[in-house]
Amino acid sequence: MGSILGGWPSYDPHNFSQLRPSDPSNPSSITPTTYHPTHNRTLPPPGQDISTESKNILIRHFYKHAEEKLRPKRAASELLAPENGSKQPRASTSNAPS
Amino acid sequence: MFRSNNIVARIFERQIRTPRPATSVHFARQFYENLVPSYTIYDVECPDHSFRKFTDDGLYLISFSRNHQELIVYRPSWLSFSCKGQDCDNHYLSVGAKRFESFFTELYCMSLASSNELICKDFFLYMERNQVGLFATSTAQIHDAPATGGAVKGVPSIEMITFHLIRLEDGVILDEKVFHNDFINLAHNTGVFLYDDLLAIVSLRYQTIHILQIRDHGNLVDVRAIGAFCREDDELFLNSNSQFMVASDRNNQHESPVNHVENTMHDNLVIPDNSFLTGIKQRLLSFIFQGIWNEEKDQSLKIQCLKKKFYIHFQDYADLMIWKVQFLDRHHLLIKFGSVDGVLSRNADHHPAFFAIYSMEAAEFVAFYQNYAEELYFLFEQFEDHFHAPSKSSLNVNFISSHSNNIHTREQLRCIKNKSSSFSQFVKKALGSLPFPCQSRSPSPYFDQSLFRFDEKLISATDRHRQSTDHPIKFILRRQPKILKFKIKPGPERGSGIGGAKKISSFLFHPILPLAISVQQTSFLQQSVVNIHFRR
Repeated sequence: MGSILGGWPSYDPHNFSQLRPSDPSNPSSITPTTYHPTHNRTLPPPGQDISTESKNILIRHFYKHAEEKLRPKRAASELLAPENGSKQPRASTSNAPS
Repeated sequence: MFRSNNIVARIFERQIRTPRPATSVHFARQFYENLVPSYTIYDVECPDHSFRKFTDDGLYLISFSRNHQELIVYRPSWLSFSCKGQDCDNHYLSVGAKRFESFFTELYCMSLASSNELICKDFFLYMERNQVGLFATSTAQIHDAPATGGAVKGVPSIEMITFHLIRLEDGVILDEKVFHNDFINLAHNTGVFLYDDLLAIVSLRYQTIHILQIRDHGNLVDVRAIGAFCREDDELFLNSNSQFMVASDRNNQHESPVNHVENTMHDNLVIPDNSFLTGIKQRLLSFIFQGIWNEEKDQSLKIQCLKKKFYIHFQDYADLMIWKVQFLDRHHLLIKFGSVDGVLSRNADHHPAFFAIYSMEAAEFVAFYQNYAEELYFLFEQFEDHFHAPSKSSLNVNFISSHSNNIHTREQLRCIKNKSSSFSQFVKKALGSLPFPCQSRSPSPYFDQSLFRFDEKLISATDRHRQSTDHPIKFILRRQPKILKFKIKPGPERGSGIGGAKKISSFLFHPILPLAISVQQTSFLQQSVVNIHFRR
């Protein structure tokens, strides 16, 4: 496709059919190479609806704090041992006065 | 950030550069560094009204007559005059241009209050979407009113409070809502909160939160009343079961009250005069109870914990009163509770107070904090903007400088925090400003802390009267070069002759135009001096 579009592929061979190369002395093929997906693992799940969370971040924090108070507290021994042996436990950033 | 301070260079640069993502408003606001209200017309001849506020969209100037019975609405416009000849910049303004009427056109003057009523001049709410304003008139306050009909003792009573919904374009009264023998704190919009089209009115005397909706056609419609009952059909439910309750009470007279832990309504705790706690109080007490119950994991210590933390303070919790309310979003309210002593006092710092988040849809509480809770303070520090409840219809609220959207304000807060000797006192003071009164800050870009630096004690975005000095208030650029851009001097040009008199000044900034009014009042003389500051 010449230097304009960098030879990138498209999923539809009829795309870019209106494109005329800027340099008429070098007529390169206008049909782009086409690739089609061979699997459907990356398709969105059916009926997916993306919308904004109705609760704003402040309200979400209030609900999160309320849920944390309801959850059973971990035993002290669990807190001392890190969950993943190779990682250091991270200090909580949300409550630290900066 | 523009590369040059020159306005023509900036306009040219604006043509070729796009601002950084999500900063288009801040980018456009930088032009306010070039267009400043540097020229002052001192002591303008103007009608003797008390000017209240510019509406947030800049279309109207609201003022009330001195006798607090009439509403006068002006349209702010701009000077238009032409100057023949050369060297026009140095010409003085013609006398005609210096009149109040050159800047403001009177739209109408209407009488709001009847003979024994007065307009509350500190109260005004504006709904930008429909251009309607909410005003309040009330009759005189009666202190020591008897506590009848469910009223709380210790709160004064006002015979009639009327809220008027007025379409500001032409002054038509769209609807009215009257409260009889009630008390609503109207000073500086304290007892009423407007969010989008929902209105929350706190009746202190009957301890009820009235939620109303302003419909598109201008009707005020009752949505719910939270207080005695939480859900709309609670009253129906209780009344239909009242015969059952009376019968069961007679049967249970000789049994001791059983403490049902799993119930969310404490209807077995019968108060001697056989009345229930109000719906919202039951919800609150249940929430506190369940919080303490869940906190203690050891089953055998649960009752002990309850006794120490809940039952000892039970009567104090049961006596809590709703002080103030604000919306956090359409379904959640932030309610401040306190004792009956502090409900009307200006400085309520030494009274114990609590904050609670209530969900109207689920009719239950989500959170409950003391007024010195650090957890709540950290949320307040990070998300102050969300406490101001910006709604879709008032987007400019998002851009008013607060310490969660402006680095300079945040630095100021940090300085105060580091200087304070006791962290919990600091937290109490910071949280004391919650819940925020509605529409109490001016959206004018001249108060934007990233543009200008000014003395916050003399002038700020919050519309309150301040002590006035004879020195002009300086607005200095934050960016390089940090020069003085303009000065606002309230009062007459040469300073008033009366030296020791106490003067208070108030400032009204137009939200969009480089136009401001300053009013200085000398307390005992009852006369005021009005100056107009604008960009010439």
